[in-house]
Order: sequence, then C-alpha cells, then structure tokens
Amino acid sequence: MIPDRVVELLHGPAFMQVGTRDAQLRPAHAWVIGAVVHPDRKTVTFFVPESRSARVLSDLQDNGRVALGVGLASHEAYQLKGTYFSSRPTGDKDIALQETYRTKWLAAALQAGYPDEIARPLIRGFAYRPGVAVTFRVKEIFLQTPGPGAGNKMA
Amino acid sequence: MGILPDEIKPAMQGVIPSHVVTCSRDGTPNATSISQVYYVDPDHVALSHQFFNKTVRNVRENPRAVVWVISPETFDAWDLEVEYDHSETSGPVFEAMDMQIEAIASIVGMKGIFKLRSADIYRVISVTKNIGERIPLPDIDKLAGRR
Amino acid sequence: MTAEGADSLGLREQIAQNQQTIDRLNRDLEKKSDQVRIIQQISSEITSTLDLDQVLEIVLRATERVLGFQHSMILLKDLAADTLRLFASRGYDPSGVGAEVAFGEGVIGVVAERKRIMRVGNLRAGIAYITSIRARLEAAGEVAPGGAAAKLPGLPNAQSQLALPLLVKDRLVGVLAVESTKSNAFDELDEILLRIVGNQAATAIDNARTYQMVEKLSRLKRFFSPQLAELIVTGGADDPLKTHRREVTVAFLDLRGFTAFAETSEPEEVMGVLREYHAEMGKLILDHEGTLERFTGDGMMIFFNDPVPVPNPAERAVRMALAMRDRVASLLGRWRKRGYELDLGVGIAQGYATIGAIGFEGRWDYGAIGTVTNLAARLCGEAKPGQILIALRVAGEVEDLIEAEEVGPLALKGLAKPVPAFNVVRLRGRLNA
Repeated sequence: MIPDRVVELLHGPAFMQVGTRDAQLRPAHAWVIGAVVHPDRKTVTFFVPESRSARVLSDLQDNGRVALGVGLASHEAYQLKGTYFSSRPTGDKDIALQETYRTKWLAAALQAGYPDEIARPLIRGFAYRPGVAVTFRVKEIFLQTPGPGAGNKMA
Repeated sequence: MGILPDEIKPAMQGVIPSHVVTCSRDGTPNATSISQVYYVDPDHVALSHQFFNKTVRNVRENPRAVVWVISPETFDAWDLEVEYDHSETSGPVFEAMDMQIEAIASIVGMKGIFKLRSADIYRVISVTKNIGERIPLPDIDKLAGRR
Repeated sequence: MTAEGADSLGLREQIAQNQQTIDRLNRDLEKKSDQVRIIQQISSEITSTLDLDQVLEIVLRATERVLGFQHSMILLKDLAADTLRLFASRGYDPSGVGAEVAFGEGVIGVVAERKRIMRVGNLRAGIAYITSIRARLEAAGEVAPGGAAAKLPGLPNAQSQLALPLLVKDRLVGVLAVESTKSNAFDELDEILLRIVGNQAATAIDNARTYQMVEKLSRLKRFFSPQLAELIVTGGADDPLKTHRREVTVAFLDLRGFTAFAETSEPEEVMGVLREYHAEMGKLILDHEGTLERFTGDGMMIFFNDPVPVPNPAERAVRMALAMRDRVASLLGRWRKRGYELDLGVGIAQGYATIGAIGFEGRWDYGAIGTVTNLAARLCGEAKPGQILIALRVAGEVEDLIEAEEVGPLALKGLAKPVPAFNVVRLRGRLNA
C-alpha cells in the first residue's frame, strides 16, 4: 500500500518528523531518527528520541492520531497519516538501523548542497539514544511537495 | 511580554529548514517542514503563505500550532507553541518576504511566477529550548565512531 | 523558606539578572558607540569632497575597515532608465565596474525597485527551493520553460547578501551592497551600521554626481543647444564624445574683410560686430538644427546629422547658408554705413567623418575629422564675398531646390584632384536668393 518511493525514503535518507495532538487539539512535534516499513507495507515503526517521547506517547494514548512527514532536502515530501498501534524502548537492532539511517541521511544532506559545517552538526547532533520505537498503521498518504499536486492523496 | 530570546534570531534566517505541526478541527495532525520562520517581534513569528496547503487550511480552523527551529550557529533547537493570529498582504513583514521571493525568483529566471499570497502572523505562547534533544556540539562526532 | 523569604530571594535573583542585562547592554552600546563614532568621522570625510570616485572609495574603505565586510560594491542609478550601474567595488577580481543591473533583478535590483533594505542569509537554500518548484511546474505544464537567469555582478557562490538603498529624500541614488560566501554572515547590528554609513553616503554621492553633471553640462553647452546638452547629460542621447563615424554635411563660413576691419578698428567696435554676427548666425544654426562644432573669431564650422541625426542634412545646410547670407546682407547695410567692408563666404561638403572627443585629459572637446571637413574649409577659402560654394555630393542632393552656377573644377590645397564646385545663386522660384 505504501508506494516504493516512500518506502525507499522511510529507510533513509529522508528528513522525518512526527506530529501528534492532545485532547485540546494542541499539536506536538518530534524528530524521527529512522524508520522501518513492515512486510505488510501498511505498518511503520519509527524511532523518536526518549527526551521527546513523553509528550508523543501521551498524545497517542489519548487519541492515537499520527502524522509522519517524510521529505528530501530537495523538497520531495510525503505525509503519512494513521493510527497508533504500540510502542517500546529501542533495542540494539533498532539502534543499528538508526546508525545506518544517520549515515544515509548525512550523505543525502551533503549531496543536496548543505555545507559540511551545517549538515554534520545538524544530523549528528540528535540525541537519538535512548529512544522509543512507535508503531502505527498507515491509513492515508498524501503528496506534500509544494507546487502542483500538493495535497493529492496517493494511497 | 517579549518571549522570544535574541539568541533565537539566527534560527529564523531560513538557513536550516524548520518544522510546523498543525491540527485540523476534526483532530488530524499534519507535520511538515518549511524553509523559513520569520521573526516579527519578541511575541510574534510569521510564515509565508505561497501555496494553499494543509498547514494554511488547518490553522484557519484550529489556530494552535507548534514550530520547531534550529540555530545554524549553535545548533540549539526550540519548540514554539504558537497561535495563528491574522494574515497580512502589506506592511513590513509581507514586504520583506515578498522582496526575498522576488529576488530569488529573478536569480533563477522565474520572475512573476511566484506570488506571495500573505504573511501569516502567529502569536508566540511559549518557547522551550530543547536541551535533551541535542547532543552538545563538541561531543557530536565522538558518537558511534561513524563519519 | 517562608513566603517572604522566597519573595526576597526571587527579588534578589531578579535584580542580579537585571544587572547582568544592563551590563550586557552597556557593553553592546559601547561597541556600537565606537563604531558610530568612527562612522561619523568618515561622514565628515565624504561630505568634504565633490569628487565622485573619492567619495565611493571612502565609503567602501569604511565598509571594509570599520564594518569588516570583505566584498562590497556601490551601484548608481542610471539617470534616464530604471537600471543600476556598478561604479565601485572592493574585494572583487575582476572589479565588475561597468556591469548593469536592472530594477527587480536579484537582491540588488529588488532593493532598488522597492527602496527598502534587504538581508538574506540563505541564498542557496532559497534558490534550490524555487528551482525545484520551477522544475515541477514546468513538468506539469503549468508554466512555460523559465526565462534566463539574471546575470548579476558579484560572488558566484554568495550565500549572504545585505543591500541598502541609497536615498536622498525619497529619490534613489543607488545601492550599497555587501555579500559573503558564508551563510547568515550579517546580523541586525550589521544592518544598523550599514544604514548609518549608507545615509551619509547617499547625500555625498548625490552631490558629487550632480557636480559632475553640471560640469559636463556646461562643457556641452558650448557646442549644443541647452536642450540637447541636457539630453546628453541625462543619458537621453548617445554620448557624442564617444568616437564614431557618421556621414555629415559640413559648412564652413567666415566673414570676408574681417581681418582688415579688425586691424583698422577699435576693439570695442570689433567685439560689437562680432557679437551681433554670432548672435544672428547662432539663431540660424539652432533653427536648422545644426551643430556648431567650433568658431574662431569670424570663422565657424557647423555640421548636420550629428550628434542627432536629421533628415535632409544637405538641404538644411544650404538653406541655412542662404538664410545667413540674407541676414548678413541686412547687417551689412548697417556695418557698411559705418564704413566696414564685410561679406560672408561659405563652403559646404558632405561625406563621412570620424567624430568624438579630441584633445587630452582635462581638455576634451567635441570634434570631427575627415576629408569632408577639409573640403568644406577649402571651398570656404575659395568663396568670393557673398558666394556659397557647394561640392558635387551636396549639389546632387539639392539640385531640385536651387539655382546654381558652376565655378569648378577648383584645385584645392590638400586635395589630390581638382574638385567640381558650384555656387548657390538662389532658391528656385524666388527672385531674390
């Protein structure tokens, strides 16, 4: 269900962030450092730093709504919306995935033209461990790249 | 009031993209990155409205949003809880945004194609510096031994 | 801790924090005051000179030394059009002087158009963003393939730019711009300081430029009508002092008997006659849209078709010469009564001449050189009192207009072969010339 291109980006090198909201519809934000698409191509597990996880988990427990923004520095972007399924602390296997992701992410940023002195501290500087792995079911995917077709539902 | 500290200004120069999360009235969040958040005054920031998108649609139904910015100098990051206040189609904020778009569009050979529809002004409700989110600058490359 | 204790602790903390803030503000202010003081000194330097190049040099030196900007430039607004030209720069090789920027092109062009300061710290990111949207708009057919990118002077890989409009009252004099390859290179304080320098610079530059224009105008008014001189100075007509070749009709004229008259008369009388003669001839030159290239005492050289092209230059020259002959004849009546033997002699030729600035630094004059000027001068020399001698080319152009008698071929000094020449008797259909 998730298109190939989006799967490719989710596994790195895209920039990713998650959006949630509380019972009063007040939004919250967290960086996502790595993700993995399950074989069913509908379920996604993403990793947020533990320092941000409290608010995210509290929101998800309240209403379960997830929005995952996935984009490349060159402004190709997608929005995945869905419902929360489960969460757990990240383990060694997750962290290994995250290391791979961080390497691809940095390479993509440099290729996109970010100078080294910006890309490196930016990407390397996220305190990704300890982390929390959040799993959700994707319900809708939208094209989010600004310009023609933005907002179109893809799947 | 004066909530925004001076040190946040470099984070609002559009060097590193920012993020904004909004939420529709029916409770669906939307998380997107934007090229620049503009500093208006110590209590207000602005986003440029060029293309009609989910962010614009959401804040007009539910004005609360959260904006994440990072300084390209210190790499400190902040979460701003903001509330959409109003849109401007003239005035210093709009002009500054419009001039920037016009200048860059002309450099690329795309004059007149991009229209700035409005400068959307948001009131800042709270500012939180994200200490736990970032590894201190000097320690960054020591991690994981990867280059 | 008691509530009061907590309050007084909080209060002490507050006071300490306030003090820290005050200290920091004082330090910032001191630094700013230092720079402001230096800038005020510079402003007295630039307002004490009217030399444009000097003013520009002082301003750019200040932006480098005091404000630390390594790459800076000053562009001035073209007098007639909405464009800027780069007049001075610092930190660029090649200097880029002479480059043109249209209003609305790039940061500099937009600043000129909107007359507002502009600071960007992320050019490459902005360019990447718009380029990618452009590509998608083009692919979706929503927009025609983009136009050419603006060709702009400056660093090819600039990331930060800060440009300030130089304004006098609300009028744009030019733009002062600094840039850097580092992102976010300029902050608010830089903006403030550049504004201060810029405001002083604007007035000084405007004054120097006005002075330059007035100088040039007074020089040009010696050759051209005031209207044409103004047109040239404001850029509405091509710079006539730039060397160029054009086909022109040249008329030489002088007053026969003037030398003898001058020798035997009082200087005041000579001046009086000359003044009257010049005034009358001058009017006729203007009427026929000729250009007075030079006059030496009683002799004059006038040509047609430069710096402003005219239709029928040969016809105009001949008509002017005939009108002048008439005028001198009526003046002669008065001069003869006083015992002077004076009469007009004219020579007219047509051909290509090289025209432009003749002379040397500090003493440029507008002049024409070519066989045509020699020919016209020699014909004038050969002309008997009251004759208007025209060369073959000119005769061909005006043959339907005039009655003429052949007086050539004449052997003229400086010309290899004898030249055919004709004397203009009168306009056809007229009893008197």
